[in-house]
Amino acid sequence: MAKKNLTKAVRDFWYGKPHTAEEGGRRLGELYEDKTGLLKHREWRGVKDTFYYMYNIWGYNYVHMVLDILKYSNNPIDFFKGTWRYRWMGQTYLPVIHWFERGLQGLRGEALYASAWHYRAMVSASIKQICTFFNADTRLHGGKQNDAYRHTIYCNETTCGTLFYPWKDAGYQYVSMEMIPYFVTCHVNSHTVLNYIDAVQSIGLPGDPCPMCQAEAGIFVLDDVPDSSPFIITCNEACDASVSTHTLQDWFANKPLFALPLPMQFDDPLVHKYCMNEIEECWKFIEEQTGTPFDWECMKKYLERQNKLQRDEWEKWEVASKTDYYPITGVAQALFRIYSTQYGVQTECWDEASEKVKKIMYKCVEKKINPFPQTRHRVIAWSCAPLYYSNWCTWAYNCWGLNVIINMDSLMFDMEIRTDSYENMLEDMATYHMWAPMRRMAVGGMHHIFELWDYMKRFNCDMVAMYDQLQCKGMQGVHGLFEDEFRKRNINAFWMPHALPDCRTVSRAEIRRQINDYMTTVMHEEPLDPSLLDFDDSMTW
Amino acid sequence: MKKLKKFLLKFCLIFVLLNVGIFVIFFFDLDGKLLFNVVEPFLKKHYDNMERKDTLAEAYDLDKFPKYKYD
Repeated sequence: MAKKNLTKAVRDFWYGKPHTAEEGGRRLGELYEDKTGLLKHREWRGVKDTFYYMYNIWGYNYVHMVLDILKYSNNPIDFFKGTWRYRWMGQTYLPVIHWFERGLQGLRGEALYASAWHYRAMVSASIKQICTFFNADTRLHGGKQNDAYRHTIYCNETTCGTLFYPWKDAGYQYVSMEMIPYFVTCHVNSHTVLNYIDAVQSIGLPGDPCPMCQAEAGIFVLDDVPDSSPFIITCNEACDASVSTHTLQDWFANKPLFALPLPMQFDDPLVHKYCMNEIEECWKFIEEQTGTPFDWECMKKYLERQNKLQRDEWEKWEVASKTDYYPITGVAQALFRIYSTQYGVQTECWDEASEKVKKIMYKCVEKKINPFPQTRHRVIAWSCAPLYYSNWCTWAYNCWGLNVIINMDSLMFDMEIRTDSYENMLEDMATYHMWAPMRRMAVGGMHHIFELWDYMKRFNCDMVAMYDQLQCKGMQGVHGLFEDEFRKRNINAFWMPHALPDCRTVSRAEIRRQINDYMTTVMHEEPLDPSLLDFDDSMTW
Repeated sequence: MKKLKKFLLKFCLIFVLLNVGIFVIFFFDLDGKLLFNVVEPFLKKHYDNMERKDTLAEAYDLDKFPKYKYD
């Protein structure tokens, strides 16, 4: 008996404890401190993976965060000044490595190595955007409008970065006003955004509109948006609540502003034509504001790079859909994709990460390595995800063997943009613009929300994780239709209520409880790791 | 030669101690604990007490800029 125990202890030390309870598993839930979600200690993943994690992920990313600041910042002092000035910066981005931890928990081998590259790319792109803000911010430079200020274009976070490629080689950087102060913060530290939601409600806005729109307006109410560009391109994002947001932004920013709407009924050819005209008007506005003409060759160059990234993604999806060898966890897949498509190819980190991931993926294919060996169900996640709990996918795999293969956020921009002529480019560009986040498959009409069935088949999924954004009036309106279709098609699907960035409305524990209930009462399954069923992380980042 | 040996020994010792130190920080999530319990509350207090512009005091001048129509 003692010999058997010793052998197991040595095996656990060398390889890490096994996943499941039956094998005397690792019980990841016991690693958490109560409420804070901090770790009593990190998981021992075996000698190789623990030290890989320590040196190649944890240490590597700490070092590269500093190097990125030195690389992208005109003056690193500005970075510290910005951290001191802006809550969304200081309060959010310091615990970024803990964000890795939440998304990569329990992963071993190729799944760990590959998913971490997606995180690395997102951190690098975030630092580049933060530096773009701070290099140009008049508040950090004694009110002076420097050269970086004159070469920065502000846009809304759902205005695709692709629109601004023609000015890239003339030295212009575009940066979204909300992606870093709002969107990414919710994933990294969900505490920060609550200040902005409360701020906008404190001036009289009711609490029931989409909390995303509230938070984005709240950043302006608290005067927490850097003053880094002489003008703004904005849009209605996906819904009417955002129109109100942009009225407030127009008021508080007090700058020349061009509104580039995302049409609601975008399948109509006349609307398509209208959208093409709007895009051209936007380009004329930028020409007027910058004094720099549209550069077609520059546009072509960056679009071709973007198309290459899209083809890389299709290559990865091919493996994800047809085999068990795709090494990316659901959260790393979703965030990398939505982030890279919105920010565009302003940075090479997407291409570098994609190449590294492909290399790991083909190793899995060649050597027949299944990076998620405990998969019980291949899941497609549909609609808009809870930003404060985007790492639920990692939890769901560790606890129940639910492997999120693909999600709606990854599929919204499933196209290349033609570069053979200006006319074709403009036509595709309009489509790309209209297929914006939350628009195409969330509030974009019946044809598109029900593309779920096609994608489910394409990615060989047997279960749907249906996000239920309680304050999205558009998606609440189709809840019943989905219920009917799930029954009619006999599809296993569970609903995940949430309030996008606001973790106070539906807690993470409540989301887990809903999934646990479904898995036990409907699927009659036992958890792989029972320690993860119920734990209190109410105060966590 | 003796000096070199001494230097190498010192170097190895520092290297090992440094790695042990880093491992302790990493394994026991000491960076996370420091940020959660000390740095974040400190910064939060700073941001909460920061003087901010009263954005509502600014008039919303709808006609300040042109309509930017290019038909």
